[in-house]
Amino acid sequence: MSELKPTNRKAQLLLQAADAGHLAEVVAMDTVAGCSTTFDPGWEVDVFGGVASLCQPMEADLYGCSDPCWWPAQVPDTMSTYPDWDAGKPSGQNDWRELDAVFPKK
Amino acid sequence: MAASRPLQTVARSLAALALAVVAPVALGRELLLTGAKPDRLIVIDPATRSIQSTFHIPGANGSLFTIVPSPDGRIAYVLVNRMESIVGIDLKSGKSVFRADLSRPGERVKDFGGFAVTPDGKELLAYELPVLLKPNEYQVQEPRFSVFNTKAGLQAQPVRSFAAPRRVHMLLMRPSGRSFYALGFELYEYDLHSGKLLGQRGIQHWTLAAHSQPDMLAFWPVSEPTGVFVTPLYSEVTTGDNKVPRTGLMSLDLNSGALDFQDFEDSAALIFSTVLSPDRKRAFGVYSTLSEVDVEHHTLARRKPLDHTYYSVNISADGRELYIGGTMCDVGFYDTATLERTANLKLPDCPDQSLASLRVIQTR
Repeated sequence: MSELKPTNRKAQLLLQAADAGHLAEVVAMDTVAGCSTTFDPGWEVDVFGGVASLCQPMEADLYGCSDPCWWPAQVPDTMSTYPDWDAGKPSGQNDWRELDAVFPKK
Repeated sequence: MAASRPLQTVARSLAALALAVVAPVALGRELLLTGAKPDRLIVIDPATRSIQSTFHIPGANGSLFTIVPSPDGRIAYVLVNRMESIVGIDLKSGKSVFRADLSRPGERVKDFGGFAVTPDGKELLAYELPVLLKPNEYQVQEPRFSVFNTKAGLQAQPVRSFAAPRRVHMLLMRPSGRSFYALGFELYEYDLHSGKLLGQRGIQHWTLAAHSQPDMLAFWPVSEPTGVFVTPLYSEVTTGDNKVPRTGLMSLDLNSGALDFQDFEDSAALIFSTVLSPDRKRAFGVYSTLSEVDVEHHTLARRKPLDHTYYSVNISADGRELYIGGTMCDVGFYDTATLERTANLKLPDCPDQSLASLRVIQTR
């Protein structure tokens, strides 16, 4: 934490909580807000540092990652935030051209 | 979420109209169950390499995950609706005979894959992750186990609930029906009726000498045909100054409760799911390769490339044939003696199976 500098009031409160030993009260959001707690490498680089062990072809992994919100930065989260992203496109290998990019609603 | 509630309502009204597209299931042999987007529960006859039935699950809302057959093989319970509903489909008629919509107004509940059915088929147990949807914030609630009566129909409500640990993704019922395992960062055992924690054994906190904290991805609750659940896991083993990534198998005997961890190779390929052969001498795993593990000697016996990635694997009751599925739109049949592909069944219209379980049932 010493390398992080708070830039707003909430971040300052977080540091105060850490100093007071209250960080354990922070509850991890476990698949509740549309994003999982997974930070594995795996969409761009495999566990061996290469690409040979990524899903083959990559289309095979599209819905396996979007359905459980596995890598919501790389593949839209259809579990909560973008449930219609794959509507009418049940086949990753045939329908991938029709899968659009998504943008947060303002 | 906003789209899913109307769909639930529609699902209830249409529940009795689940469509049997092909012939109903004939009883008295081994069959495969898989799911495919957006709403299909598919019954496959491995003997003829053909699809026996395709049922469309009302209110699946584009996604299917865990499939748990009833102990008598007559009903398939499927986690659908973006992990918010569990639907029971009668495999003879194709009709919905059970539905539990976990979310309710103001509270969104996800089940991240973990549910199980009691050996007598009377109760269904689900792992629930609730969050209150406030006007300006989400309030995370404590996770819980909820028990449903499987005869409760299409608007099933929990008959009892009790506290659950966080980060659980699989429930495995013990054959006695008195307790169940919850698999997550640790392995927990709970009394089914009282909800009392009976035991906790380490996975993230295992105590294997020289092994780092393991990594495990276990979303496929296959324990057929042996009653033993096996899953790959990965850790770093320190030998002198060297740290070597190793792949091992975790095995959990649901009957005896025996839990075992055994490395079998320096990590050279990913494996997502594994199944134990009926003779308990070999395990088979899939991802982009098909691996055979000598369980007695803890070694990799054989490995062959697959034509594409498959998430899930299962095996025939006689141990002669492997079934591989998940991810894309085909199910492969492999000879366990040679690891050669003997057949491939492509699903009509090529829908993705994604994370749907591949289960084997014995019909009566």
